[in-house]
Amino acid sequence: MTHSDTPAVQITDLGKTYPGAASPALTGVSLSVSPGEIVVLLGLSGSGKSTLLRHINGLETPTTGTVVSLGEDVSALTGRPLRELRGRIGFIFQQFELVGALTVLENVLTGSLSTLRGPRIGVRTYPKQLRLRALGHLDRVGLLERAYQRADTLSGGQQQRVAIARALMQEPDILLADEPVASLDPESSSQVMGLIRELAAERGLTVVCSLHQVDLALSWGERIVGLRAGEVVLDTPTDDLTREQVMEIYGRVAVTTGEITAIETELADIREQLLSEGATEGGIASEDARAEALRAQAGERLAEDFANEEPA
Amino acid sequence: MTAVLSAPPQPSAARLQAIKRPRPLTATVVSYSVIAGIAILGIWSFAALDYSFKSLETTFANLSRFIGMATPMQWPGWNVVGTRQPDGTTTFVTEWVGIEPILDTFGSIAITLALVIAGTALAAVLSIPVAYGAARNTAPGRVALAISRFIGVVMRAIPDVVFVVFLAFLWFNSGTLPAIVAIGLHSVGMISKMFADAVEQIDEGPRLAIRAAGGSKSQEFWSGVVPQALPAWIAVTLHRADINLRGTVILGVVGVAGLGYDLDEALHAGPAGMRRVIPIVLIIIALCIVFEIISSLIRARLLGVRPTGRGTGDTVVRALAKRSSRLAASIDRNGASSDEVARAARIEAVMHRPWDRGRVLTTAWIWLGILIVVWAFVYAGPDLARLVSGWRFDQVVNAELDRAIWPPNFGTRDVGTVLAAVGTTLQVAFAATLMGALISAFVGPLSARNVAPNGGVRNLFRGIALVLRAIPDLVVAIIFIIATGFGPQAAALALGIGGVGLLAKLVGDSMEEVPNGPERAVGAAGGSRTQVFFASTLPMSVPSTVSHLMYLLEQNVRSATLLGIVGAGGIGFLLLNALQGRHFDQVFAYVLVIIAMVVVVETAAILIRRALK
Repeated sequence: MTHSDTPAVQITDLGKTYPGAASPALTGVSLSVSPGEIVVLLGLSGSGKSTLLRHINGLETPTTGTVVSLGEDVSALTGRPLRELRGRIGFIFQQFELVGALTVLENVLTGSLSTLRGPRIGVRTYPKQLRLRALGHLDRVGLLERAYQRADTLSGGQQQRVAIARALMQEPDILLADEPVASLDPESSSQVMGLIRELAAERGLTVVCSLHQVDLALSWGERIVGLRAGEVVLDTPTDDLTREQVMEIYGRVAVTTGEITAIETELADIREQLLSEGATEGGIASEDARAEALRAQAGERLAEDFANEEPA
Repeated sequence: MTAVLSAPPQPSAARLQAIKRPRPLTATVVSYSVIAGIAILGIWSFAALDYSFKSLETTFANLSRFIGMATPMQWPGWNVVGTRQPDGTTTFVTEWVGIEPILDTFGSIAITLALVIAGTALAAVLSIPVAYGAARNTAPGRVALAISRFIGVVMRAIPDVVFVVFLAFLWFNSGTLPAIVAIGLHSVGMISKMFADAVEQIDEGPRLAIRAAGGSKSQEFWSGVVPQALPAWIAVTLHRADINLRGTVILGVVGVAGLGYDLDEALHAGPAGMRRVIPIVLIIIALCIVFEIISSLIRARLLGVRPTGRGTGDTVVRALAKRSSRLAASIDRNGASSDEVARAARIEAVMHRPWDRGRVLTTAWIWLGILIVVWAFVYAGPDLARLVSGWRFDQVVNAELDRAIWPPNFGTRDVGTVLAAVGTTLQVAFAATLMGALISAFVGPLSARNVAPNGGVRNLFRGIALVLRAIPDLVVAIIFIIATGFGPQAAALALGIGGVGLLAKLVGDSMEEVPNGPERAVGAAGGSRTQVFFASTLPMSVPSTVSHLMYLLEQNVRSATLLGIVGAGGIGFLLLNALQGRHFDQVFAYVLVIIAMVVVVETAAILIRRALK
């Protein structure tokens, strides 16, 4: 993997305290993400993952420190330049955040609003070129046939794919994802995570994705940044983690001993899995094979989707 | 012996004394103060309005005199001719005079509807910027928020009749324009309030997503907020059109064309006119009821419609999906070279949205709505040029009789008289509210499913509330006033009975909405139906009931002012007097008094509601 020298995101000593809050949401966070890198922010709820992500596209303003995204100091921007920067950064939400009353296509089109002036009402008010592109992205996420359905008639997994198409509409350089699968069932989860991975590879996207499941983070990301109570407690590539290191990650990310006990059974499963894979194929190769299998599975499910799925 | 043993040990007197009694919640104090206040002021109003035997007797005498004059009824298309017989009685002959008067009546109905629809449509459009500023989550700043909310409250506070009077000054002799603008401005208050509430209740997520994608503030509003609040906006607009239709009856008194004007004319056209009164009133009531049914049907459809998986639209979509999955299969066979071509073809096929049933219906509804609004404007034909030119503040035509608008004054009346008139209006409102509340105290609970002893009783009382609600209370009040002679007693009676329709329904609804777990618990402990009601249902529904009571009071203050204009006395009567005498300085002064009065009541209601939360 070749990453260029100028980072896509450069966070320096970031601190954030919400007005009226007793303790800071983030303290002294420094992080540099190279273009094309796939980073997982790992941590329990309340550890500051979302807050950190929201600083990258300027949805939050830092209390101390600086955030430089795509070469721009985010907190120094307002108005048009800020909108333009946000246009280059896609954001995927845990709750999808589609406008339920609008059609799927119009939801995807809202991703292009930063390039347009003035409000838009109805699909027809968007230029034909954009409509074609939106349909292309819908096709890419496998939902072309749903283009004119109301967004709230789709299942959760489908809605998240529409949200991904909306982010693609921005032709982003960076894709931020805030717990993209926390509200999804395991099947849809693997579909969505697989899709993000594929798109990142196709387009050379920089991805920063927050997750709370250690196993998913290990199998999916290239680099893991662990957060606990607003501080970075871990920053490591996932390539060559040993069993002990995985154990340690659990230890570091969890806050209390109670939480560690709670995930111990989960941990046992992962350990077995890693061990058995390590025994048969070894390290990185097994990772690739698993991703391949995942992708194939996802493709099958996409096909099944069209045949079976009734709108909720 | 065993009984003594099983009795629990009594806590010592000292411990009982030491139990802390926390101060009651502000909401509780406010609730009971409001109930007590309305009871006391209501009783005082009843006393002050003089419901003595003598005045009731006069009322009945007036009523029978009116019925004597108004019968036999003369429906449009017929003429009733009375001939005095030698023995002193009068015989009446009803004869067909042709279809023309019937067509005239339809013309009146059409112009009434056109004014209502055009005015309400205008309000719906104007309310968008006001709501944008008045909703906490979209307002550009604190100042804009305060200004927008102030506009809303003031617009709601100024009765549309007052707007008509005022605009008639500005655009003297300009036909329907003042009426449309008056209905529009007055309705902005309610529509923008409800729309702003809907905007505040939206899911903020989609908006945030659009902001994250680089959308501007206006794009956030139109793409993220409006689609969510749109059903509420349409529903409120329809509801408002319904209210405005009832209000046009009063507008007729100040010269706005339509059924209200016909009624006013008939009232002032001697015995022959009196015979036309009851038919016109019946036509108005029928029109109001039909309009209400249509508007609530559309509202129910609009808010309840959800596409199902079995509809034609979904079938078409599914068929399309099959087709393109075949396409996808063919792509796989043809290999990668034609991949791009096939993909482009697939996308091109979806570029045009299929005309499925849902789309056809939606499009038809939208166009029907647009056509009706356009028709309303064309039919009413307001002189739009007057909007920009032809303003005239000084309406003195005859310098000896007319008086210019500035400076406002009360003429020969002193402040005390004017305040007494305000007092009368408020007495009518309080007496009506008390009456409405007392009757609703029975009808409301008995129309709640969880209180009524059986379904039959529940449906009976629901039905009573529904019927009372369907009959437009202002129209009823006008009939009362016409029939029983001018006076506040009749107005209070009419408003009181009309209020039952509103309050009983709201009380019934909020009693059905209380959580029924506690009710079951009291029932399971052996409580009778009455005990369940007083121990559980009633205390839990007090806050919402008090809120509804305040709403009724506000409504009654406004209605009492309007009824003054048609002869119920009070401040409205002074306004009408000044208007008829073309004393515009006094008109202006009374308008200011009315605005002040309604704003005070509204503010009190807002503060009380805030305390109830």
